[in-house]
Parts: sequence; structure tokens; C-alpha cells
Amino acid sequence: MNRIEARMETCRQKQEKAFITYITAGLPDLAATKEIIKAQERGGCDVVELGVPFSDPVADGPVIQDASYRAICGGVNVKKIFGMMEELRAEGVEVPIVFMMYYNTVLHYGVEAFVKKCNETGVDGLIIPDLPFEEQEEIQRYLKQSDDTILIQLVSPVSAERIPKILDGARGFVYCVSSMGVTGQGADFHKEVKSYLKKVKEATELPVMMGFGIRTAEDVAPMKELIDGAIVGSYFIQLLEKQDFAPQAAEEYCAAFRKELNR
Amino acid sequence: MNKKAYYGEFGGQYVAESLMNTLEELDAAFEEAIRDPEFLKQYHYYLKQYVGRETPLYYAERLSGEYGMKIYLKREDLNHTGAHKINNVIGQILLAKRMGKTKVIAETGAGQHGVATATGAALFDMECTVYMGAEDIKRQALNVMRMEMLGAKVVSVTSGSNTLKDATNEAIRTWAKTAEDTFYVIGSAVGPYPYPKMVKEFQSVISREAKKQILEAEGRLPDVVMACVGGGSNSIGMFADFIEEKDVKLIGVEAAGKGIETGEHASAMALGEPGVLHGMRSYLLQDEDGNVQLAHSISAGLDYPGVGPEHAYLKDSGRAEYTSITDVEAMDALMELCKVEGIIPAIESAHAVAYVKKYAKELKEKLGEEKAKEQIAVVCLSGRGDKDVNTIADYLAGKGYLN
Repeated sequence: MNRIEARMETCRQKQEKAFITYITAGLPDLAATKEIIKAQERGGCDVVELGVPFSDPVADGPVIQDASYRAICGGVNVKKIFGMMEELRAEGVEVPIVFMMYYNTVLHYGVEAFVKKCNETGVDGLIIPDLPFEEQEEIQRYLKQSDDTILIQLVSPVSAERIPKILDGARGFVYCVSSMGVTGQGADFHKEVKSYLKKVKEATELPVMMGFGIRTAEDVAPMKELIDGAIVGSYFIQLLEKQDFAPQAAEEYCAAFRKELNR
Repeated sequence: MNKKAYYGEFGGQYVAESLMNTLEELDAAFEEAIRDPEFLKQYHYYLKQYVGRETPLYYAERLSGEYGMKIYLKREDLNHTGAHKINNVIGQILLAKRMGKTKVIAETGAGQHGVATATGAALFDMECTVYMGAEDIKRQALNVMRMEMLGAKVVSVTSGSNTLKDATNEAIRTWAKTAEDTFYVIGSAVGPYPYPKMVKEFQSVISREAKKQILEAEGRLPDVVMACVGGGSNSIGMFADFIEEKDVKLIGVEAAGKGIETGEHASAMALGEPGVLHGMRSYLLQDEDGNVQLAHSISAGLDYPGVGPEHAYLKDSGRAEYTSITDVEAMDALMELCKVEGIIPAIESAHAVAYVKKYAKELKEKLGEEKAKEQIAVVCLSGRGDKDVNTIADYLAGKGYLN
């Protein structure tokens, strides 16, 4: 079984909501990223979303744009991130890890070689915001050859009649984007967010995870009945930045959020 | 895979899920509009009465004499707002109105597309916001002023390299947020489908006129058609009606900047590898990690790391050839056109003029002087050079060209 699916199944059995945090790989450097991932695991994070920095992150707001830019300036690239993944898994880190990245990075690496490397280094899933359902055939051809790495599907408040098509055959969890636009805009969710989450729930058995603009467990409290967990990205980065990327800060935030989410 | 979104292996719709319905609506509205005689009547009315079409196909007699072949210039520089960009803007804004949108956004590099969009927005009473890199805002102060006079809001983009590619990223981000009431007017033959098709449709008026005009003037089709290529809007418009005419050679001229070998250029086709940027798969300048590389050209309008997907397809299928011209060659041609024909071209367009000179020289060597003289080239003079006077002055001061 895929590592993400196994963890989601555990959450379901325990009747717990899942918690996912995002960080950009290489911020401030890859050694620090490793320590933060370990801290996220200790804090009870169910999945770690790891941003692979790209020069033109069109789905991201200012915080993650800036984080990506700095990571690239620091010399981080996908090859080094694969290296870090190997080390993490060798050191016994078991938390599911998904890459959040842009499709050009995959194409440049070579789609088949990229998927193979993900399989080998313990990358459990991929989130590619500029690869909508219609463009996924090329990568799915290789992903579907094993259970190791799966493609996470994104849906948006305006996906409407596209939802069944996107979720047919989807795996792991559904990433529900809370608002229109980019990451990190604050908890100003789409006006139809509840009816939209309901639609998604009806269309799938998969856990429904909500992300974009979330800072605290309180932000998602009104949607609690409709979601199976929450994803925090930009805010988590800002928080770490303020605390000089101390692993302790990551651990505490994850533990507190997850506890609050399941209260 | 949405097959109709592709030109061979290029094109597609590499955008966020939240934009997919928007693109589908746009595609449906566009296909319906271009089949509606009322819409086309309106579009052509504004092209004639407002833009000033048709533009002349001018036989550049003295330049022809200098270079050694018959050169016809398609005078897009005589359009209202000074370039071909307005053809497309009129079409897209009429479509936006028809779709009930009240706001338009646009990206701009040199500012020509921004000015054209601001102009169209003023004409059709739409709210207009233009995204422009902070670096370009400095370089193109005059066009910023023009956009503001026309009532547009110019937003300075300070992410990445602060130029056109970043302005485009920001416009896409804003669009993803506001697509419900906002129409994104893309200025080049780039972006997710149906944009490349739409831009071609609205720019193809260039070749439709030119074909008719050259038949009137010469009684036959040209031997070669040339245009400069940044994203590729004037060139796709210039090629459109000649693509089916297999005996007409099509040549796109990219910017070689300081020289392809220096790495400081904007020739996506010369060294680019296929990649994904701004919603499309096409040739793209990128570094060894797959990050998008900065383009360089003295011409802000060609300073773009990608190229429209249909051009990538025309190159791979062999139907069109792509070549490049350096900053220096373009500036020499610009000055030559000023002196010989009394036309100050945009630096972008000067790239095409520079190439026709090279081409004619090769022709002379191959066919001999007499036969070369009978060969006909149609060159798209996509814009006028008024906007470039400051850049030209700086360049000349550095080089002492006029002394």
C-alpha cells in the first residue's frame, strides 16, 4: 500500500482528522529542511508537503514565491532534493512525503526517469498545480506502474461538473483549494466553500483535505464536518521564519494544530 | 488530453484547475463569436474606422535596390497605437464584452500591448489593469504614462526578474483569482489554449491583406515572408494565410541579443528545449535545473524566454524556418531603414529587416544578381520606433554610431 494511503486509513480508523504542512525544500538550506521534516514527523504531521522550488511558481502567493526564489539562489535543485530524500528514508523517517512542484521540473528531468527516482527515494506523492486533469496522461502512464508514488488531485471551488471526472480513480486524498487564486491569501475562503466541499464529499470516498490560506485550526472549524483534515503552507513558512527555522517551533505548531483539529 | 489544444506536441492547457472551466467557457465563446457575422462585422468595423486598416503593403524601392531583392513592407507600424498589437486587442475586448466581463487585465513588456489594451479598454468602457515588471517600468516610462492617460492602472511587478515573464506570472495569478468577472487579454501567441488560436485569428488580418495586396502588385505570391518572433503574434499573423501556400518560404526571426553563443539572447528556438511555462508546452529557455532562464534582447518586445506553440510546431514540421539576429545587426538595420526609406521601425521589427538583408545577400550568391532581383520578400514591419527613441539614443551614445 502507498504510504499516504496507509496513513490516511489509520486516521480514518482512529476517526482523526489529518494534518499536512508545507515547506519549501532548501529554506534556509537542505540540512535545515531535513531537521524540520523530522520535527514535523515528531509533531504528528500526517503528510509532509515538500515544495520543489521553481523559478515561475504561478500557483503561489508572495510567501512561497519568495521562499522558492531564495532556495534557488541557495543552489537547491531537484537532484539535491532527491539526495535529501534518500538520506531521510535511510535515517528512518517514515512520514509520508509529497512533492509540490511545477511540471517543467518534471519534464526537464525526463518524465519516466523522474517517476522512477521518486519511486526509489521514497517520494510518496506528487502535487502539480499546473497539471490539470486533461494533461496528466503522460505522467500517469509511469506513476501507475507502481504504488510507490501517486498523483494527488486538486479541485477548486469552481470545478463543479469537473469533480466526478477528476476524482474518478484519484488516490490518497483530495486537495480542496479553499479559495480562488494562489496560496497564502489568508482565511478568506470562497463564498460557496461549504456547498463545494459537500459536492466533493458526495463524489468521493477519499479523505477531503482543505488547503490555501489556512493559519489555525480555528480557520477551518466552520467546515469541520465537511473535511477530513487541513493543509497549512505559507503561514507555516512565515512562522518558521520568525523563529529562525527552529525545528522545535515546527514540532510545537504541528502538535498544537493537530490536537486542536481533533478536539 | 484535449487534442484540439495541441499543435503537434506543443500547446495544451497547463494551468491551475480553477482556470479550466474559464478556458472552456472562453473557447466556446470564441468559437461562437468568430462564426457570428455580427461579431465579425463589428470587429472589422473597428479595424477599419478606429485602427485605420487596411495597412499598406509598401514596395520599399530604395531598400530593394540596396539589398538586391524586391522588398515589400507590411506597414503594421501605421496602425493606431503604433503596432500590430491593437488588432488582437480589439478582437479580445469585443469578445470580453460579449461574455459580459467588466474588467480586463493584461501583461506587458515594452508596453505596446499594455497601451493597446488600455486603448481598447477606454474605447469599450472597461476597467483595465496592466501588469508590468518593475524593470520594464523604468525602461519604458513613456508607455507607462500613455497607459495611465488612457485610464489604466499599471501594477509594478517585483518578483523574479521583474520583467515580462514575471508580469505574465502575476497576471495569471490575478486571473485565477478574479476570472469570474475579469478577462485576461494576452498579447502574444502564447498561453494556454485557446489563446494561441485566438491571437492568431485576430492577427491573421495581416496576412489576409498582404496576400491580396501582393497579388495586386505583382500578380503572384511572394517567394518569402518574414517577421520577427518574440512570443510570436505578428509573425503568426503574417504567416497565417501563407501556411497553405507551400511555395512561399516562411521565416521567423528571433532575437540573438548579444549573440547566441554568449547565452544572452532570446532565441527559444535556437537553443531552447521543450518545456512548460505560462500555460503552454513549447520551446523554452531554461537552465540545467529546469528553471526558466532570463532572456536578453535590446528589444523589450522580443525579450521573452518562450515562444508560441504553433511556431514550435511550424519549426518541427519544417514548414517555417527560424533564425536570429543580434542587437547590433538589428540596430544597423534600423538606422538603415530610417535613412533609406524615412521609416523609423520598432527595434523588434528591425530584426526582420536585418534578416532580409542577409537573406538577399545569400540569394545573390546563389542565384546571381539578376535573378535575385526578381525574388519577392514580404516583411512584416510590426511597429514603429517612436517608443524606442530613448533606447536608440542610449545605444548610439554607447557606440558613437552617428559620429
